Amino acid sequence: MKEERKPRRTATEAAAKVPKMVRANLTENLKAKEQGKPVAYSFIVNGYDEIIRAMDIVPAWVENYSGVCAAKRDAGRFLEKAEAESFSRSLCTYATCGLGFDIWRHELQGEMPPDAPWGGMAKPDIILGSGQMLCDPRYKWPQAAQHYMQDVPVYIGGLYWPPYDRNIDQREVEKYYVKYAVEELRGAIHFIEKHTQRKMDWDKLGELVDLVDKTWNLFIEAYELRKAIPTPMDTGDAMNTMVPLAFMLGTQEAYDFYKDLCGELKQKNEKREGVVADEKYRLLWGAGLPSWFALSDFQYFNSKGATFPVERTYREAELIYRLDLPKGNDPLEHIAWRWVRYWTHWYDRARKRPASLPEVERLIEYIEDYKIDGVVFHEAFSCRTWHTGIILQAEVLKKVYREIPIMILEGDIVDISSYNEADTHHRIDAFIETMETAKNKR
Amino acid sequence: MERTSGKGLELVEKYYRDYGCRAKELKRRGKKIMGYLSALGPLEIITAAGFIPVRMKGDVNEPITKADSQMETIVCPFVRNVFDSALKGRYDYLDGMVIPHTCDSISRTYDIWSYNLQLPYSHFLNVPHVTDEPSLEFFKEILGTFVKSLEKFTGNKISDERLAQAVETYNQNREAIRQLYELRKSHPPLISGVEMMKVLVAAMSLPVEESTELISSVTDEVKKRGGTPAEKSARIMVVGDQIDDTALIEIIEKAGARMVMDDISIGSKIYWPDIEVTQNPIDGIAERYLRKIKLPTTYRDTGETYQDKLEERFGHIRQFIKDFRVDGAILFIYKYCDPYGFEVPATKTYIESLGTPVLYLEEEYSTSTFGRLKTRIEAFLEMIA
Repeated sequence: MKEERKPRRTATEAAAKVPKMVRANLTENLKAKEQGKPVAYSFIVNGYDEIIRAMDIVPAWVENYSGVCAAKRDAGRFLEKAEAESFSRSLCTYATCGLGFDIWRHELQGEMPPDAPWGGMAKPDIILGSGQMLCDPRYKWPQAAQHYMQDVPVYIGGLYWPPYDRNIDQREVEKYYVKYAVEELRGAIHFIEKHTQRKMDWDKLGELVDLVDKTWNLFIEAYELRKAIPTPMDTGDAMNTMVPLAFMLGTQEAYDFYKDLCGELKQKNEKREGVVADEKYRLLWGAGLPSWFALSDFQYFNSKGATFPVERTYREAELIYRLDLPKGNDPLEHIAWRWVRYWTHWYDRARKRPASLPEVERLIEYIEDYKIDGVVFHEAFSCRTWHTGIILQAEVLKKVYREIPIMILEGDIVDISSYNEADTHHRIDAFIETMETAKNKR
Repeated sequence: MERTSGKGLELVEKYYRDYGCRAKELKRRGKKIMGYLSALGPLEIITAAGFIPVRMKGDVNEPITKADSQMETIVCPFVRNVFDSALKGRYDYLDGMVIPHTCDSISRTYDIWSYNLQLPYSHFLNVPHVTDEPSLEFFKEILGTFVKSLEKFTGNKISDERLAQAVETYNQNREAIRQLYELRKSHPPLISGVEMMKVLVAAMSLPVEESTELISSVTDEVKKRGGTPAEKSARIMVVGDQIDDTALIEIIEKAGARMVMDDISIGSKIYWPDIEVTQNPIDGIAERYLRKIKLPTTYRDTGETYQDKLEERFGHIRQFIKDFRVDGAILFIYKYCDPYGFEVPATKTYIESLGTPVLYLEEEYSTSTFGRLKTRIEAFLEMIA
C-alpha cells in the first residue's frame, strides 16, 4: 500500500515542473497505441535518443517508471511479484520493479495492475536495450522482460567505450570503438524499421544530433551556474532537472527546459539567492543513484546548512568543445564519437597524476570548481554498476588529492526496506559534525 | 610434473587440495604465470605469449576477512572471495592478470584488483555482450589490442604459428576431458561427481599439456573400474557459473544421488566448444569465446520465435539431459550475480518444459550456508525419487 506523502519542496521552479513532465511522458506512452504510434521500452544513455525521436517512436522509460514507483513508496508490491518469479532481491531494483510490473500486467492479460502509479506503463511494441558498459541490466532486463512479452522483439546493440588503461592511450583504440558503435546504431535503425514500418528521416536525425549537442551545452552551462556561493540549486533539485537530459534528449522541450533553467539560476545568482540562507558546507554527491523514496534527505542536509552544488550522478553530458569531436557529416558517427569521448574525457588527467583514476579526476575537478568541503557517496545494494569502486574512489581521492571529509551512505534506489530514516539522519548529523571540525581546522 | 601413470586421481587430489601448487613450482623454475577470471580468459593467446594460465578461484570454506575493506559487499560473493584470497597472498606468484568483461561484478572491480594487487601486468579484456557480426569484428580488434599489450610486456612477438599451435593443443585438451565426461553416462557413472569436480579444478591450474596428460591418465584409471550393478539413484545435473568446490556435490552424493553432468563455467561450458582452425587464428579464437561458449554474459538472439531464442540459449541443456539421462537439475546461482540472476525464470521454464524438475538455489560462495542447503537438496531428491 503506498504512503500518502507531502510533495517534496524544490529550490527551483524548473525542478518543480518536472513531475508533470514525467507524468506527461507516461500518459503519452499509454495513449500511443490509440494513436497508432509505436512504443519502445528504452533505457537512458543507450545512444538511441536521436534515433527514437527522428523515427517518431514513443519511448517508455522503464527505469524512470521504477523511480516513480519508488518515489511514491509503491514499489514493494512489484518487487515482490518479481521475487515470486525467482528474480533475486539482489538484482537491480529498477529492473525487478519494472519486471514485477510487466509480470503483473501479463497475468492480467494486458490490463494495468490495480492502482498502478500514474496509470502504469503501456506494453511496448519493441524493446531497445544495449550491451554496453553502462550496466548489465541493459541487456539482461530486456531479455528477461521478453519472457513475459514473448511477441515483443528486442534489440540489444553494443555501444562500448575504451576502458582506462595507464599503458594504452585510448586514442590508439577509439576508432574501432566508434566503428562498432556506428554499426550497432545502424542495426538499431534497421530493427526499428523492420518492426514498426517507420522509416528513418535522415535529415531530421542530423537536426536532432545538432539539437542534442546544444542541449548538452545548455545543461552544463546551467549546472556551472551552481558554482556560485551560495549555490542556487542543489542535488535535491538535480534529481528532477536531469529528467529532460535523460528522458527527453533530442526534443525541443528538453532544450527549452535548460534554457529556462539557465535563466532562473542566473536570476537567483544575481540576487544571491541560495538553496539555504546560511550555506555553511558545500558537498559533492560523489557517486551513487539516489534513494528515490528518500529524496527529502537532501532537505535534511539543507536544514543543517549543507548544500550539494554538484553531483556526479545523472550528469551524463559535457560541453561539446571540451570533447574535441572530429568533424564529419555522418550523424551516427557524431553520436558515437560524442559518447566515446565523453566516457574517456578524464583519462588524460588520470594519466598525468600518479596513482589517480578517471573517476577521481572528475571528483577533483568538481571539488575545485564548486569549492567543495566534503563528499557524500551512496552505495545502493542492488546496483553493482554505479556503487562498486566507491571505497577505492574515496581512498584514492584522499591519497592523490587531499584529506577531505567523506561519508558513504548505504541503502538502495527503489527498495525502501533497506532504509531507516532515523538512522540516516543520525549519520548525516555525525557527518555534519565532522564537516564542522574540518572547517575549524582550516 | 610427477608421472601420472595409474596415479591420476591421486595427483588430482593433490592439485585440488593445494590449488596452484604446480604453478608455484613452475614459477620457481622460471616460468611465467598469468591469472585470469571466468570462462572468457583467452587461454590460447595467454599460452602463445609464453605464460601458463591459471584460473583464479576462492575458497568456500574460508570466510572473507580482508576483501570487505576494499571491495563493496554488494559485489558477487565469488568475486569477493577470490579477491580475498588474492589479498591473503594466495596468488602472489602471478606475473600478471587478465580480467575479461563478463559482468559488472568483474568489470567494475577491475580498478580495485589492479590497485590492490599491483601486479607487473594487468589487462581488462573488453569482451562485448552482444554476438552479432559487428560485435565479432569488434572482439577481434579487442583481442588484437590484448596481443599487442602482451607483446609489449614480454618484448616478444606472438606469431600466428604459436597461436595455431596453442589452438591445437587446447582443442586436444578439451577432447580429452570430453572423453572423461563420457564415463559419466553409465549408471552409476564410472567417475563420481566429487571426483569429476576435483579433476575440473585441478585442470584449471596446470599448463595445458600437463592438464591433458593428467586427464587422460584419470580416464584410463577410471575405465579400469568394473561396472557396478545398476542402482536406484537420481541422476543430477548442476547448472551455474564457477562452482569450483566439492562441497555442493558431496551433499548431493551423500544424499544418495549421482551428479552426472554439469552446465557450469569450469565444466562443460568451456570443454564442449572447440576452436575451428582458421587461417588467422584470432578469427577462430574470437568465434569460440564470443559465440560458442554459452554464458549468460553474452546475448544471443537469432531465433525467430521466443521458443527459438530459448532453444538457442539453452538447447545444449536439452542434449545433456538426454545424453546423460538426467533426472533433475539443480540451478545454483550466487547472490548478487546479475547475468545468471536475470536468467533464472527462463532457465527454469526451459528445463521444466523438458519434463525435468529444477531446484533453484540462491547462495553465497561459502559453505557457511550449506546446512539449510542440505535440507532443501534432500527434499528435492525425495521428490524426484
